[in-house]
Amino acid sequence: MTGVGASVHRIGSIVWHDVLMPDTTLPIVAEGLQRHFGSGDDIVKAVDGVDLRIEQGEIFGFLGPNGAGKSTTVRMLTTLLRPTGGVGRVAGFDVVSQANEVRRNIGVALQDAAIDPLMTGAELLKLQAVLYGLPKSQHAAKAGELLERVGLTAAGDRRVGTYSGGMRRRLDLALSLIHEPSVLFLDEPTTGLDPMSRISLWEEIRRLNNDGTTVMLTTQYLEEADQLAERIAIIDGGKIVRKGRPAELKAEVGSPTLFVSVDASASEHASALLASFGDLRPSAEGTLGVGLTEGPSAVSNVVRTLDEAGITVRNLELREPSLDDVFAEATGYRLEGADA
Amino acid sequence: MTTVESPAAATRGIRLDPSSLAQTWAMSKRSTLALWRQPSLVVPSLIFPLFFAALGTSSFSRATALPGFPAVDSYLDFALAGAVVQGILFGSTVGATALATDIENGFFDRLLSSPSTRSGIIVGRMAGGMVFGGAQTLFFILVLLPFGLSVKGGIAGVVAMIIGGTVLALAVGALMSAMAIKTGSSEAVQGAFPLLFIALFFSSAFFPRETMSGVYGTLADVNPISHLVEGFRDLTIEGFSGSAVIRAILIPAGLAVLTVALALRTLNNRLGAR
Repeated sequence: MTGVGASVHRIGSIVWHDVLMPDTTLPIVAEGLQRHFGSGDDIVKAVDGVDLRIEQGEIFGFLGPNGAGKSTTVRMLTTLLRPTGGVGRVAGFDVVSQANEVRRNIGVALQDAAIDPLMTGAELLKLQAVLYGLPKSQHAAKAGELLERVGLTAAGDRRVGTYSGGMRRRLDLALSLIHEPSVLFLDEPTTGLDPMSRISLWEEIRRLNNDGTTVMLTTQYLEEADQLAERIAIIDGGKIVRKGRPAELKAEVGSPTLFVSVDASASEHASALLASFGDLRPSAEGTLGVGLTEGPSAVSNVVRTLDEAGITVRNLELREPSLDDVFAEATGYRLEGADA
Repeated sequence: MTTVESPAAATRGIRLDPSSLAQTWAMSKRSTLALWRQPSLVVPSLIFPLFFAALGTSSFSRATALPGFPAVDSYLDFALAGAVVQGILFGSTVGATALATDIENGFFDRLLSSPSTRSGIIVGRMAGGMVFGGAQTLFFILVLLPFGLSVKGGIAGVVAMIIGGTVLALAVGALMSAMAIKTGSSEAVQGAFPLLFIALFFSSAFFPRETMSGVYGTLADVNPISHLVEGFRDLTIEGFSGSAVIRAILIPAGLAVLTVALALRTLNNRLGAR
């Protein structure tokens, strides 16, 4: 399946067989991973042939809008959903035939901080410790250590129903760390959080990563991916449309984007004029976007050209290539709610 | 424990030895605790059957003279079995509703992504309902004793009924859990509750089968609830006997085997199909 191969060397009369195991040494591998729902004309290809190779000790950002296939991919890699095609290997184990081994080796924090509101934080951590088979003597100490780590020591004996959104997320993260997994799946860990809580969770994720934990992070926040991830993949319509290091992907977009707001009546004319400065790029409604082939120095020419054509410029914004541009170039539209 | 070595596999520095027994026990404690912390969910299933029993005793006490009615000292002796089964049907939907809520809020996925056995997750979730089923049985007996109830089966009969009540709670809880897993909706589980009540009414829970006729009588004859109710009833009004114990315990146990298998199968389908 996964490109496991062998090379043969001959030294004198001795024949050496070196078995190469490139894939099983990677913490997360997906090859042609598929998940289709329904059949015939009604088939929905939620994930349609996803290939991923996530390296040991990296934070990998998995980006895409709602419904792109991010969560479905994560659900397959975390054994919560069987693939309808392809192969997934996590921590060296097959997600279908060795699902239980996969579960022992991963930490999972899924969307919406799924926590029983009737239990206290400490109780949930102890339950988690039993589920993962930690020695009983370690339960209380481990729960205390994790509560402290995520700043919930004072709230540990309170029912989770009384926690704020940020506290739930932090507890959710602590629950996924009970067995010190080497691979961590975080599915939109900061969605709905205020900026302070988001930054504090980012710091915790970085700290975990510094300790050697491989993190697969799905997010619809471009800034989050830019801040945290060493490499990213963009998924749209169930397929990976871009993959690489954020800096390289941004460099591929090349030129900066100039966003110009004009009156709706002049939009078509302005659009035709802007096209002479570079390729038109997707932009928010009421705004025109153009990739300036000649770079920032072309801005004054753009303004002059529009002015000479009698078009009033309402607003002007020049942006260096961002992940939003990478996303827009890959998918043809901008990521809703993007904040970078 | 079997350890599987893999180059990339590692939970670092911690020896893990998940035991399915310990997992089921921990899940059981959680579901029992959940019932304890939500008294508003469990109190109705303690009150309503007593209300029915009181209503029946005041309205139907002369019905004990009808032909086909077993010889009893008090209508309560007859009514106990119906009250117990009714209470358990009521109460065991609570656990299934909690399971549906776990699915709705995603906690179920957290459990499934851990290395715990699927049966442990389901049975653990049902355990609160089982403990409650046994406790309900004892509660109804203790509350009705001062009002004229006498259990001819004695302590052994009471113990058999508590065991039967516990197993029945598992059987019904697992059936409702299958629905919870299938739909993932607590409303759907609560919406299905009237079906259980219809099954109860087409049984000998409130009147002996000997007094029934026509379609009603036929349905009551084939309804397993009739037979297990009669097991409970015989333990109350006739005394401890092998036949009564078999009906009070083995019928719910047989049902439990089927419904737990159904719940696990539904879970398996959910993992594959969702």
